[in-house]
Amino acid sequence: MIHLSSVSKQYSADSVGLADVDLSIEAGEFVSIVGQSGTGKTTLIKLLIAEEKPTSGTIEIGGWDISRIRQADIPLLRRQIGVIFQDFKLLSKKTVQENVAFALQVAGEPYKRIRDIVPRVVEIVGLKHKMDRYPHQLSGGEQQRVVIARSLVHRPKIIVADEPTGNLDSINTEEIMEILKKINEFGTTIVLVTHNRDIVNQLRKRVVVLQDGKIISDERHGKYHLSAT
Amino acid sequence: MYSFFRIIRFALQDIVRNIGLSFMTVFVLVLMLLSVNTLLFIRLVTNEATTSIRDQIDVSIYLSPDATADEVDEVYTYIGSLPEVTQATFFSQEEVLQNFRTLYKDNENILSSLDELSDNPLGATIVIKTKNPADYSKVIDDLSVPEYETIVESKTFTDTQGAIQKIDVITTNVEHFSFALTAFFAIIAFLIIFNTIRVAIYTQRIEISIKKLVGATNWFVRGPYVVTSVFFSIISVGIAIILVYASTGFLDPYLGVVLGDSQFLTNYYFSHILSLAGIQFAIVFFLTLVSSMLAMRRYLKT
Repeated sequence: MIHLSSVSKQYSADSVGLADVDLSIEAGEFVSIVGQSGTGKTTLIKLLIAEEKPTSGTIEIGGWDISRIRQADIPLLRRQIGVIFQDFKLLSKKTVQENVAFALQVAGEPYKRIRDIVPRVVEIVGLKHKMDRYPHQLSGGEQQRVVIARSLVHRPKIIVADEPTGNLDSINTEEIMEILKKINEFGTTIVLVTHNRDIVNQLRKRVVVLQDGKIISDERHGKYHLSAT
Repeated sequence: MYSFFRIIRFALQDIVRNIGLSFMTVFVLVLMLLSVNTLLFIRLVTNEATTSIRDQIDVSIYLSPDATADEVDEVYTYIGSLPEVTQATFFSQEEVLQNFRTLYKDNENILSSLDELSDNPLGATIVIKTKNPADYSKVIDDLSVPEYETIVESKTFTDTQGAIQKIDVITTNVEHFSFALTAFFAIIAFLIIFNTIRVAIYTQRIEISIKKLVGATNWFVRGPYVVTSVFFSIISVGIAIILVYASTGFLDPYLGVVLGDSQFLTNYYFSHILSLAGIQFAIVFFLTLVSSMLAMRRYLKT
């Protein structure tokens, strides 16, 4: 599903994002990427959604080499990957249902299909009764659930989550992780970047540890740690 | 097709949901248009006033009473053939005498002196107008040749030469000044519009990056701004036209005293309403569109 081969990202002579990283993630996996701040986790996410291009190496997603992706093809790639961020990134002037629908509207989906799908997806994340609220009228947990609904709505094969619980309390964190686990159970690949030790330990899924832009540990059923074991 | 209608709907939604920003943008555009219209009117009134002053300038060529009809004809034909001359009006000896009597009808001494003379002491007169006041001296030079020395008795130009030259300098300077002022205001207006739009786009930079993040193409992001530019242009030009029309009605009575036409601005505005509205719409639309595209460019790169 996702294959990184000798991928490096260098921002300047003394600033390395990733250094010669090889990583393969198969369809349906739930992979946690951990590491200290500045070790390349966010760079990895940016490369996966083509917000950055690698300095060298190749990145393939579903057989599509995105390392040299054309500017015009980036929207097509992003419509196939669901993205969840710590700071939510919701459109502040759009309601819950408009935010979720927007992901389908950009892809030119017909009105009828959008009217059918959006309420169902919003219901999955438990916000059907708040469809017409604006983001500022929701709690942090609710906003993150809207983001999940938006990332789910076009049925992506991959969801990339960069610190999705970073701004949430423990109850909301648990709820969000439950939703992500359910999504994964339905076959969606999940790449989760997190600093949250408890989340990683409870998941008992694959854990990849990054340090100074390199993978220092990759365990099939790992636990949270920041150094090579 | 879906995208086209969505872009229009998003644009209208953005305008309504950012009503404060929309109002401020339209307000600045209206102010800019009012400045441009004010300058346009200043130029218009200045041109009208200078044309009217220039129209009032003429030079009279007084011919000798002893000149024969052939000699008078020759001078008249010669003056009419000069390229600088736009109008040459001939007054015969009898007409000149009649005009003189009318002018001095209350002065018994002058009229009785005239009656004592057996012959008409006044010669024919040719009143000429030229394209520019500066041309008068050239016409006078052309007539100051030995052949016409005995025919042309006098030219009033010498008396008014200083006044004509002053008027010419003043009107030319006023024209240059109003042109420079218009150019200056046009640059200021462009900078104001550019910065207003830039601020508007800056406040929406996060929204733009989010739209890109969920897979919107650059044109899907830009589209609503194009529609918004059209909408703002229509509204601002409409408001400016209404305000300018109201002010023409207010200003016309005052200008009428100077220009002699009590409906000068209103008539001009009505007769040019389509071109004025069209040009202003095109300029505002172009400026807002270019400004928003330039301001947005950096946020579309992610």
